[in-house]
Amino acid sequence: MDARLRRVNKEITDCKNDKTSNVKIDLVDESPFHLKGTFPGPEGTPYEGGTFEVDIVIPESYPFQPVKMKFITKVYHPNVSSASGAICLDILKDAWSPVLTLKSTLISLQSLLCSPEPNDPQDAEVAKHYMTSRSSFEETARYWTRIYAGGPADESKSGQDPVAIAGLEKAHVDRFEALGFPRDKVIDVLRRLNYRGKNVTQITDDTIVEKLLS
Amino acid sequence: MSSDYEYDDDDYYDDEDMIDGTQDDDEISDDDMDIADDIKSAAKGKLKSYEVDYDSLSQSEVEKHIRDDTEHICGILGVDLSTAQLLLRHLKWNKERLIEAYMDNPSKVLVDAGVALTESHSQPQAAPIRTQSSSSSGSNSRRPTRSSSKLIPSRSSRSSPTSPTTSYSIPKPLKASKSIQHFLCPICFDDDPALRTLSLDCEHTYCSGCWTAYVVSKVRDEGEHCIRCMEEKCQLVAPDNFIQSILVPEPGAPVGDPTEEAENAKVWARFQELLIRYFVSCNRDLKFCPYPSCTNTVSCPSASSKLSLTSVVPIVSCGARGIGGQDEQLSQSQGRLGALQGKEHKFCFGCPIEADHRPVICAVAKMWMKKCRDDSETANWIKSNTKECTNCQSTIEKNGGCNHMTCKKCKHEFCWVCMGPWSEHGTQWYSCNRYDEKAGQEARDSQSRSRASLERYLHYYNRWANHEQSAKLSLDLYAKTEKKMEEMQITSALTWIEVQFMKKAVEELDKCRQTLKWTYAMAYYLAKGNEKELFEDNQRDLEQAVEQLSELIESPIEPENIPTLRQQVTNKTVYVAKRNEIVLEDTANGFLDGRWKWNASVDGFDDPDPSLIAF
Ligand SMILES: [Zn+2]
Ligand SMILES: [Zn+2]
Ligand SMILES: [Zn+2]
Ligand SMILES: [Zn+2]
Ligand SMILES: [Zn+2]
Ligand SMILES: [Zn+2]
Repeated sequence: MDARLRRVNKEITDCKNDKTSNVKIDLVDESPFHLKGTFPGPEGTPYEGGTFEVDIVIPESYPFQPVKMKFITKVYHPNVSSASGAICLDILKDAWSPVLTLKSTLISLQSLLCSPEPNDPQDAEVAKHYMTSRSSFEETARYWTRIYAGGPADESKSGQDPVAIAGLEKAHVDRFEALGFPRDKVIDVLRRLNYRGKNVTQITDDTIVEKLLS
Repeated sequence: MSSDYEYDDDDYYDDEDMIDGTQDDDEISDDDMDIADDIKSAAKGKLKSYEVDYDSLSQSEVEKHIRDDTEHICGILGVDLSTAQLLLRHLKWNKERLIEAYMDNPSKVLVDAGVALTESHSQPQAAPIRTQSSSSSGSNSRRPTRSSSKLIPSRSSRSSPTSPTTSYSIPKPLKASKSIQHFLCPICFDDDPALRTLSLDCEHTYCSGCWTAYVVSKVRDEGEHCIRCMEEKCQLVAPDNFIQSILVPEPGAPVGDPTEEAENAKVWARFQELLIRYFVSCNRDLKFCPYPSCTNTVSCPSASSKLSLTSVVPIVSCGARGIGGQDEQLSQSQGRLGALQGKEHKFCFGCPIEADHRPVICAVAKMWMKKCRDDSETANWIKSNTKECTNCQSTIEKNGGCNHMTCKKCKHEFCWVCMGPWSEHGTQWYSCNRYDEKAGQEARDSQSRSRASLERYLHYYNRWANHEQSAKLSLDLYAKTEKKMEEMQITSALTWIEVQFMKKAVEELDKCRQTLKWTYAMAYYLAKGNEKELFEDNQRDLEQAVEQLSELIESPIEPENIPTLRQQVTNKTVYVAKRNEIVLEDTANGFLDGRWKWNASVDGFDDPDPSLIAF
C-alpha cells in the first residue's frame, strides 16, 4: 500500500481512538488527503470556549514535506492572517520533521493560540494591536472568538463598551453615528472592514457609507 | 597533494552576499590568484584589452579541489573524511576559519556542523548503553571525531543473529540498526519484521524506505544538500556515505525496482552536483556555468572583486558547446536554434546576465536591463514586426535582418530603424545611431520634458531591440540559405568548403549585433561630450559595416553568382570583424584609462557632474 495513504489512515484512526485528546480530524470529502481539524480554544486565553477549525491539505510528499494548514475559523491572533487564516509557524515550514503528525501539529496550533509570537507576525495590524494595547487586543480576540468560534457571551463584561470590544476607536464610531446610522450597525460594519491602523486611511468614507446603506 | 594550492581565507565572504554575486571588498589580493595559478592551463595567447584571463574546470576537476581541501582538513584536524566534509560545508569552505574555530572549541564546531550530538541530547530509549558510556567520558575528553561513537558497543553485535536483512554491510560510520523485536517505523507505521532500518549516531531509527523518500524529497524537491536527521529538532547531518548507501544499492544487495533505482541514481547525481554548486558558490573566484544541464565551472580571479568590475567586462566561456544532451532533437519551430547549436557557453562572470554584454560594464548593463523592464509597456510598440511605408503608407513586414527596406508597392527605400531615407545612410554626415540632444534640449524648454525623456530612451531602446531582433532574423534567414546551399552542393560543382563563407558571415554578424546592441545601452548612459562622440563614431562605423554585410547575405543566391558573392561576403566579414574589434578594444581601454563619464550615478564611479546628468 502507498506509504502516505497508510500513514494518513493510521493517523486518522489513532486520533479517533484517542479519547483523552480534544483534537479531532475529519474527512472533508472522500479524499484522505484533504481533511479538517478541530480543537477547542485553550483555557485561560481569549480563545477559551471557542471551537477552531483548520483546513488540512496533505501534500504528495507527506510526511517528508510539511502538511499545509490554515484556519477556517476567523482568529484574531498576531500569527494568523485575519483575512485568509494563513498561519506563521516554524514547524509548518523549515522546522517540520517527518515524525510530527497531524495531531501533534494541531496541538502546536493550539499552543500557538496560548503564546503569540508578535515578532514574527503573519498579520502586522493584529501584531501591532497586540504590542500596543494588550487588554484591548484581548477584548477583540475574545469578541472574535464569540462571533466566529461560537465562544460564550462574557457575562462579567456585559455593560462594557462594545466599541472597545470590537477593537475600534470611539471617535470613528461617533463620526458615522453622527451621519444618522444606528450605533450597532456602525460598529458591525467597521469591525467587519477591520477599520484599524492603516486601514483607516485606506478605506474611504464612501465605502463605509455604502456598506452602512446596504 | 593537499596543500599545493590555497584559498585566501581572509577574503572569504561570511555572509550571504556572495550568493547573489554582490561583493563588497575593494581589493584583490595577490593570494587570491593562487588557485588560478594552480589550475592554469597551458600558455594562452596574449589577451586583448577586452578579454579577461580565466580557466574552465570540469566537474571532476572541481571535485578534485574539493577532495584536496577535505584531505587537507583531515590531516590538520585529525578527523575522518565525512567529518571534514560536514565541517567545511558548515563553515562555507573557509578552511582558515574552520581551523581557528575548531582549535578554539572543537565540540561546539562539531555540534554546530551537525557532526556530533550535544551533551544534553536525550537518547531514545532504544540505546541505553550508549548514553551511559558517553556521559562517563565527559565533555572535554570526548574524541572529536565521528569514530568516537564506535567506542560504544554497536547494536549490530546483539541483533545480527535475528535479522533477516543483514546479508550485506553498510559503510563504517553509519549504523544499520537491525530489526529489533516489534520495530514500528514512527514515520510510515510499518512494522514488517523484515524492514531494514537505519539511523545516524543519534540512534533515531527509521525504516530504509522512509529514509529514501526523505532524502529524495530533500534533494530533488528542495535542492538541499544538508540533510538532517528526521527526528524533530535533531541537528545531526547525514554524511555523504550515508546518503550514498541510501540512494545507491551496494554490491550484493537484493535487486530492487529498476525504475526506482534509476530515479535514486539520478538523485545521487543531483546530490553530488549540489555539493559542487555549493563549493563553487562559496568561492568568489569560481562561477558555475549557467547553461542548462552544463556542469562546468569557470575560475576568474581577476573579476572576483567589485572594484575590478568597474574596468573589466569578464565575459567567460565554460569550454562546452551546445545546449545539453536531451535538447538535441529540436522541433521545426526551433529551426533558429539549429544555427545556434554548438554555440559556446558564454556568460558574464561578474553579473547574472547570461550573455556577452561587452563593451558595457556590468553595473551599467544592469541599470539598462532594469530600465527596459520598467519601461517595457511604453516600448512595446517597437517590438511590432510591421511598419508603414513613409511614402505610400502601405504595410511593410520585416523578414530579414537587414535594415535597408524597400517598399514593394512604391519602391521607396528607407531605414527600418529611423524611417529616414536610405539614400542618406551611406554618407558620412548622416548618423542613424546618434540621438539628437539638441532636439531634446528644445523639447526640454517646452513643457514636454517627460515626453522628451521618453523619446531619448526610445531612441536607444529602439536600436537596442532592433539589433537583437535582426540577429534572430539573420539566423532564420541563414537556416533557409543553408538549405539552399546544400541543394547547390548537389546540383553544382561547389564543395562543402566553398559554401562555408555564409556560415562565417552569419556568425560574425551575430557577434557584432550583440556588441552593437550593448553599445546602445552604454551610449544611453554616457555623458555627452567628446568622448561620447568618438564612441558613437566607432559605433556608427561598425553599424554601417554590419548593415552592409547583412544586406549582402540577403542577396539572391544563384550558382553562377556564388564566386563573386563569396569574395564580397568574405571581404566584408573580415572588415566587420575589424570594426567590432575597434569598438571592443577602444571601449575596454576607455574603462582602463577611466575615460568614460556617465550621465547618471553608476555603482563604483564618482557621481556625475550635475551639468552632465541626463534629463
Ligand atoms: Zn518507515
Ligand atoms: Zn537524530
Ligand atoms: Zn557550460
Ligand atoms: Zn556582467
Ligand atoms: Zn511605399
Ligand atoms: Zn536609420
